[in-house]
Amino acid sequence: MASIHLKNIEKKYGAFVGVQNMSLEIADEEFLVLLGPSGCGKTTTMRMIAGLEEPTDGQIVIGGEVVNEIDARDRDVAMVFQGYALYPNMSIYENIRFPLRMRGIPASEHDARIRKAAEMVELGSFLERKPGALSGGQRQRAALARAVVRQPQVFLMDEPLSNLDAKLRQSMRVQIKHMQRQLKVTTVYVTHDQIEAMTLADRIVIMNKGAIQQVGTPDQIYSDPSNTFVAGFIGSPPMNLIEGTARNGSFEAPGVSAPCPDYVRGKVTLGIRPEDCQVGGSDVQGMVYGVEPTGDTTYLTVLAGTKKIEVKTARDYRSDIDVAIGITFDPSHLYFFGEDSLRIRGPHDPKV
Amino acid sequence: MAKARKTRGESLILRYVVLGGWALVCLLPILWFLSIGFRPRTEVITPQPIYWPTLSLDAWHLLMSDWPIVRYLRNSVVAVAGSVVIDLVLAIPAAYALARYEFRGREDIGFYILSTRMMAPAIVAVPIFFLFKTMGLLDSVWALMLIYAAINLSLVTWIIRSYMLDIPKELEDAARTDGAGDLTILREIIVPACLPGIITAAVIAAIFAINEFLFTLLIASTSNAYTMSVALANFTGGSDGIIYNAIALVSFIAFVPILILVILIQKHLSRGLTMGAVKG
Repeated sequence: MASIHLKNIEKKYGAFVGVQNMSLEIADEEFLVLLGPSGCGKTTTMRMIAGLEEPTDGQIVIGGEVVNEIDARDRDVAMVFQGYALYPNMSIYENIRFPLRMRGIPASEHDARIRKAAEMVELGSFLERKPGALSGGQRQRAALARAVVRQPQVFLMDEPLSNLDAKLRQSMRVQIKHMQRQLKVTTVYVTHDQIEAMTLADRIVIMNKGAIQQVGTPDQIYSDPSNTFVAGFIGSPPMNLIEGTARNGSFEAPGVSAPCPDYVRGKVTLGIRPEDCQVGGSDVQGMVYGVEPTGDTTYLTVLAGTKKIEVKTARDYRSDIDVAIGITFDPSHLYFFGEDSLRIRGPHDPKV
Repeated sequence: MAKARKTRGESLILRYVVLGGWALVCLLPILWFLSIGFRPRTEVITPQPIYWPTLSLDAWHLLMSDWPIVRYLRNSVVAVAGSVVIDLVLAIPAAYALARYEFRGREDIGFYILSTRMMAPAIVAVPIFFLFKTMGLLDSVWALMLIYAAINLSLVTWIIRSYMLDIPKELEDAARTDGAGDLTILREIIVPACLPGIITAAVIAAIFAINEFLFTLLIASTSNAYTMSVALANFTGGSDGIIYNAIALVSFIAFVPILILVILIQKHLSRGLTMGAVKG
């Protein structure tokens, strides 16, 4: 078990900057999720922690030891890959055994440890099969077993669920979280799926274009986004972001007119989550663009000017399209962002 | 609907007729010399074709009693098998380095290796003859083994490299984080994963080596080191003039091992031969 400390990490590929000046402390036993769109540097960051890529600059410290010069094979780090990366010529048993053999663990211990790891991921009856004879979910569990079998200091998981179907993803998610709590191993998990990030993480790191956008607990990230990127990335559907002008305590945009604090002035972006909007009232005056029932709730899209605003409504809400409609914003859940896309905070807001 | 199906059925029959006809054209020479090999000498040279010859094992008995066919076959097998082993031992690590390691001049070195295949062999024939003469390796099966290995090394390297490029890099990353070093990764992950490619390369190299003629003729100055290909060319049937039925039979015997090898790998052969066509 170990903490991980990234100090001013930088990764450049020629002129392209993959990761820029990134500093991050990951506590012992923490489940940290790196979240961001593809190409944001999250996988590169993870590969640097694994030792598969060398940082151009900066220091990586694992368990108090600077590991920049230590080869991947000698870092006590286990990694689970997006494509599972099971060795096709070996049985599942041999796959799980491989890291034990490589690390010179006495052969007498192998069998018990392999069976325990397989048990943990409920894979006991497939040990003699080759990876090709398993389903995607079983392969992913085999890959997990291979990671846990040698009890590493750190788990690294690179989008391990992205090749699975939605239902399997949900059950594997719970399994991964349960396992991490059980084993108490520091875990770094990379994903572009915000639901995975919200459900799994102790803390989320949101990255974009090689830089950290915000670090915080899922609650902080959701309720206190520090810029428009984070606001628009988290939530499903994401936060409505409406560009307009604020003057004298009022925010104006085509079809939108809402109260705002006095310190918000000039060109700003208003953010409001779909669940903080209500049908009725006159903050927004627009037309119904579409209604999407999902069973437990109904999403309503309202066209105000040229802007589409998502509203979460009651499950039995129904309407025809092109009907005039008014929407009210919950004034206590309005967010304002300046032209630099950063959050505009009032004098009394807590600093994050 | 019915019409469409009928058209389809007709085109299927047509397809079989055309392909069957072409197969016959291709097979005819082989069947023809097989039939020559098993007819008596008197029926080989006649003004009129004989469509239903008498079956005779004369040529077979002549070969077995009068001609060291077993030695030639053994020379072929030893030289070819040895050369393939040498090729694989050298080519697998080279292909891995070319496929995976980043180093300056990697593409140039890869191309240089391939370019050794581009020159006409006759250009180096004389220097190679003197080289082997100086080393005292003339007339030896071991020399043939080295020559064949050298001729095929570039091709074997490139075929194996193309297969290695297809192995997901994730597999190696996984092995590395699991604690494996380069050689372990090569031995336990890469080689098993590209085994079809290695087998294909080995068989293609074997076919080229079996058919090799020029250098074998140069190096094997006496029948001690003759392989089937050179022995066949020198074979006239002995002191009794040219014995065509025996020549035909020897040709067929020389042809069988290649046929077997090709059938074994035909699934992979086209890929091996066209490798580099899609990506380099």
